[in-house]
Amino acid sequence: MSDTAALVKIEGLHKSYGGVIKVLQGLDIEMKAGDRVVVIGPSGGGKSTLLRVLMGLEQIDSGSILFSGKPYISANGSGKTVIDAKVRRSIGMVFQHYTLFPHLDVIGNLILAPTKVRGESKAVARERAMALLTRFGLAAKANAYPAQLSGGQKQRVAIARALMLDPKLMLFDEVTSALDPELVAEVEQVILQLAQQQMPMVIVTHDMWFAKNIASRVIFCAGGVVVEDGPPEQVLGDPKEERTREFIERVFHIKH
Amino acid sequence: MNYSFDFASVFRNFGPLWDGLLVTIQLTIAANAIGLTLGFLLALLVMSRWAVIRLPVTLFIEFFRCTPAIIQIVWFFYCVPILFNVFLGSVTMGIMALGLNLAAFNAEAYRASIQAVPREQLDAGIALGLNPFQRILYIVLPTAVRNSIPVLLTNGIGIFQQSALVAIVAVQDLMYQGKTLATQTYRPIETFTIIALVYFAVSFPVSQVVGYLERRREAMAS
Repeated sequence: MSDTAALVKIEGLHKSYGGVIKVLQGLDIEMKAGDRVVVIGPSGGGKSTLLRVLMGLEQIDSGSILFSGKPYISANGSGKTVIDAKVRRSIGMVFQHYTLFPHLDVIGNLILAPTKVRGESKAVARERAMALLTRFGLAAKANAYPAQLSGGQKQRVAIARALMLDPKLMLFDEVTSALDPELVAEVEQVILQLAQQQMPMVIVTHDMWFAKNIASRVIFCAGGVVVEDGPPEQVLGDPKEERTREFIERVFHIKH
Repeated sequence: MNYSFDFASVFRNFGPLWDGLLVTIQLTIAANAIGLTLGFLLALLVMSRWAVIRLPVTLFIEFFRCTPAIIQIVWFFYCVPILFNVFLGSVTMGIMALGLNLAAFNAEAYRASIQAVPREQLDAGIALGLNPFQRILYIVLPTAVRNSIPVLLTNGIGIFQQSALVAIVAVQDLMYQGKTLATQTYRPIETFTIIALVYFAVSFPVSQVVGYLERRREAMAS
């Protein structure tokens, strides 16, 4: 449990749907606090499932996850997933489809969890929320409802909402995939800003430019296992594995 | 057609019709009070994971949805006093019958909108550390209740019209007063035309409001 201990340690992670569709087939990943991990790979390869498991949204078949050396998720003998809710609260996640609460305005979305989960006073939470919104260029939208925002604005609000709980790890699940191309940059800027502040993060993305720019480490995931894992220049630029090479070539071919 | 209309004789007797309308409105409001609250409770129970709770509630809801309202009302008036030894005023009985009927339909409206809240909204709630109770209270219910409002209003105004059925068990509502007046004045055409217009005059604005709310919701969703 020293400072050098891994932030996240995934061991032998197996996950299937109904025992038939095997999504994760023995993942081992160790992530240090300074890592910004980008997970790439073909769809159906288990990337999003990995993030959802990390967020504690999914049951697992076997394996375990440690967070800062403490047990976080494990599968007990009778096939039940045990999740430490307290550890889970130190992880934040942003989803592909924004998932803002439509009945609350922007400020309301940001202060819901701090006031209800942490018992923070409304005034204090509001102040912190405004500071975050100002930082993200959204102060003018504080009282707007999600339906009145663009996709890029919604996604930035979703990021701010997750940050309100001071997460120790942020998970981004294809957060720009649903956006119009001209709105992608404003969201990626915000994530890059977080990266500069040394926020540990795991990002699933199809945007190779973004992957290259933000990752300290790239994991290529296919068929439910880690195929390749290394620095971005190597995995994206000169992959060792044939499957990685094929995938990278195909993706970049579409891009250009 | 040689019929000469005489609306004057109906208007001369508008007093009883007015009293009848007040009874009808009273029935509607009371039945809606039951329908909105009990319906909500039934919706929560019908989604219970325990069959012991779910099955009887489902049976209750489906009984009211799958039998004619007129049978329910007649059954209430004649069978409840005998079976349960309960004797209540006719208006109270009318409110009970209409209220339970509405509760069954509203329960389905609530249930449908609760289950229509996207799964991702709950995932976001988990990711933000809200416990199951908080997720229901702060995420699911506000959205669901809002989305069910048009259907609840439609059902509520439907009960306003259905309440005419209680006239057959001698509740002195608008329909009952109308029937009496038609017999007294020998002017059924005029009387029932006016009564129809009164029902219409109350229902139509409500259905316009429902249309407006639905259009607004569609605009908000896009």
